[in-house]
Amino acid sequence: MIRQAFRANPWAFLGPAATQALAAALVTTGLGLTASLDGVPPDNGIADLGIIFTLSSAYLTVLVVGVTMGTAIAGQARDMALVRTIGATPGRVRRAIAAQAVLVALPATAAGIPLGLLAGYAWWHGLAGAGVVPSEATFRVYGGTVPIAYAVTVGTSLLGALVAAIRPSRLRPSVALTEALVSRRGRGRVRTAIGVLLLAGGVTLAVVISGFDAATADQAGLFVMLAMCVGAGLLGPVLLRVTLPVVRRLGPVGALAADAVTARARSLSGALVPLTLAVAFAAFTVVLGTTTAHVTGVAAPAADRWLEYSGTGAYTAFAAVAAVNTLLTVMHARRRELAVVRLAGGTRGRTLAVVVCEALVVTSTALAAGAAVAATTLLPLLHTALGTWRPWLPVSWLVAGIAGTTALVFAGMVGPAAAALRRPPIEVAG
Amino acid sequence: MESVISLTSVSRRYPRGVQALRDVSLGIPAGQFVAVMGATGSGKSTLLHCAAGLDRPDGGRVRLAGQDITRMREARLTRLRRDRAGFVFQSYNLLSELTVRQNVALPVRLGGPRARTVDEVLGLVGLGGLGDRPVGELSGGQRQRVAVARALVTAPAVVFADEPTGALDPATGAHILRLLRTAADRDGVTVLMVTHDPAAAAWSDRLVLLREGAVADDGPAADATRIAHQLQAVAA
Ligand SMILES: Nc1ncnc2c1ncn2[C@@H]1O[C@H](COP(=O)(O)OP(=O)(O)OP(=O)(O)O)[C@@H](O)[C@H]1O
Ligand SMILES: [Mg+2]
Repeated sequence: MIRQAFRANPWAFLGPAATQALAAALVTTGLGLTASLDGVPPDNGIADLGIIFTLSSAYLTVLVVGVTMGTAIAGQARDMALVRTIGATPGRVRRAIAAQAVLVALPATAAGIPLGLLAGYAWWHGLAGAGVVPSEATFRVYGGTVPIAYAVTVGTSLLGALVAAIRPSRLRPSVALTEALVSRRGRGRVRTAIGVLLLAGGVTLAVVISGFDAATADQAGLFVMLAMCVGAGLLGPVLLRVTLPVVRRLGPVGALAADAVTARARSLSGALVPLTLAVAFAAFTVVLGTTTAHVTGVAAPAADRWLEYSGTGAYTAFAAVAAVNTLLTVMHARRRELAVVRLAGGTRGRTLAVVVCEALVVTSTALAAGAAVAATTLLPLLHTALGTWRPWLPVSWLVAGIAGTTALVFAGMVGPAAAALRRPPIEVAG
Repeated sequence: MESVISLTSVSRRYPRGVQALRDVSLGIPAGQFVAVMGATGSGKSTLLHCAAGLDRPDGGRVRLAGQDITRMREARLTRLRRDRAGFVFQSYNLLSELTVRQNVALPVRLGGPRARTVDEVLGLVGLGGLGDRPVGELSGGQRQRVAVARALVTAPAVVFADEPTGALDPATGAHILRLLRTAADRDGVTVLMVTHDPAAAAWSDRLVLLREGAVADDGPAADATRIAHQLQAVAA
């Protein structure tokens, strides 16, 4: 049964696999840095860098791998109902899902560890080149890398899959088979409440930590961001709806896109978590740098900047890859829907135009949410450090950020839709 | 009078060598309700797909609603289908997350002619009160009525139906067939329907029997018992 699920949709698990490979790479890099910095005197200021990076990577992994795996499993709700119908117990379904999660994580981690070693090695050289670490210090591989990396990825993969499988494995098969997944609407209130709570908590925490010293504030800032991005993901169905009145004005194509976004708000919200993270990470670091330079009139030393940007770059890239993967998984599950639209008379161009509209909704929501999260963490910090509430960002950076986010979302949504639309609709829908 | 659907020496061979249609010629005048029957694998669905421009034949010509679609470009063909044809499938092919009304409005929103209002066709198929329910919550018979409503909202020249009653009980199936029959009688819609059920075929004007991809018999449809005999003779 497990093997069948894999054979039936190997693509559905490509997203989680890629994300887990990167997660393993991040953790490996972090562990390598930790081991290599062991010899560096503690007054260097970056002695803790490795540990901080490793821990942050682990937290980020829990979140992002959980989201991608969860999205992939949610797409299998119907298959689960089918095997339940022919006699699999809920427990057996959960065991099969767990096995799937482990089977995905094993090769992904094996691919990720060498990648992480390479990245760590390159980073170390960069640090040495920028004079952050003594040039005679060598990059060392941490002895426990393999078991720790496996523990992190297999653990998060399992956790994400099992949490996502709770509901579908418990559903009466009849309910799931009638595709009445629409009836989940009732659970929205709890979800929204938790989302609001996380956001409110994030704002409060951001204000509190702005009074602490810079290093502590920086570390705690990551948690504020994570909490708020999860909050944004939980509020996704609400947030995604904000732009819909505007989209509906674009005419019938916009109306179709608005309906589709409303119907798919939950799965799109899964992608909103890593997207918002990516935007928030990048915005936070870049705006902090540009505003500081603008206000004080001096640019940060090259070494500091290098450290800041390379660290954030790693997180942002990880979140971005996870976002694209989640969107790919969502679109993979929608191939049939696109074929039905074609059968109802949609030309390829028009059907794609609907997806483009949806992608614009997701992009603008992620940009707004990411900017809000970044602002919440950044503004109190700016006020404490620089005495200003006003962030400063050159227009070219702003344009680049918007273009980058749009490109990400389009790669995850419009790309796969265009590929799916190449097949004759009757073959897909049957 | 010109045929609304016309196939001339149509053949279709699938990769791996299955000859699904061999030299099929068929002309269907406006307002005729045609049933296509035959053993499983005899090429019924392939015939319907080729006639509707959902699939392309390897040989022969296909005309639909006055236009030669044999080599028509995909976008133009889709617009022709959207404006002049409606579809009803055994597996409904609806968007189950959307409401009844949103599903029925789909062809119009995709640019098709707004020939009738959504409420009008929903009333026609007897779903007047269900417009705002998600399709995922409906019964099979209700879903198929949504599909019929969606097929009729553009006031098409042709409705293509592939086993529209295959998943329904006889009473619900009869309801769907009556809707198609009425569309043919009252609005002059041409109906091409594939079915396995002699009772369903008995609602039609004309019966086309396929055997191994070729037309084995073509004539006025009789009653269900007689159709069952004809089918047995061809399938044997
Ligand atoms: N996509 C395909 N690729 C290869 N062969 C196909 C394909 N679709 C159909 N065939 C073959 O073409 C023949 C005709 O198929 P078709 O679906 O038209 O039959 P049918 O009369 O509709 O059967 P049924 O009553 O079972 O629906 C069959 O032998 C089938 O196996
Ligand atoms: Mg068939």
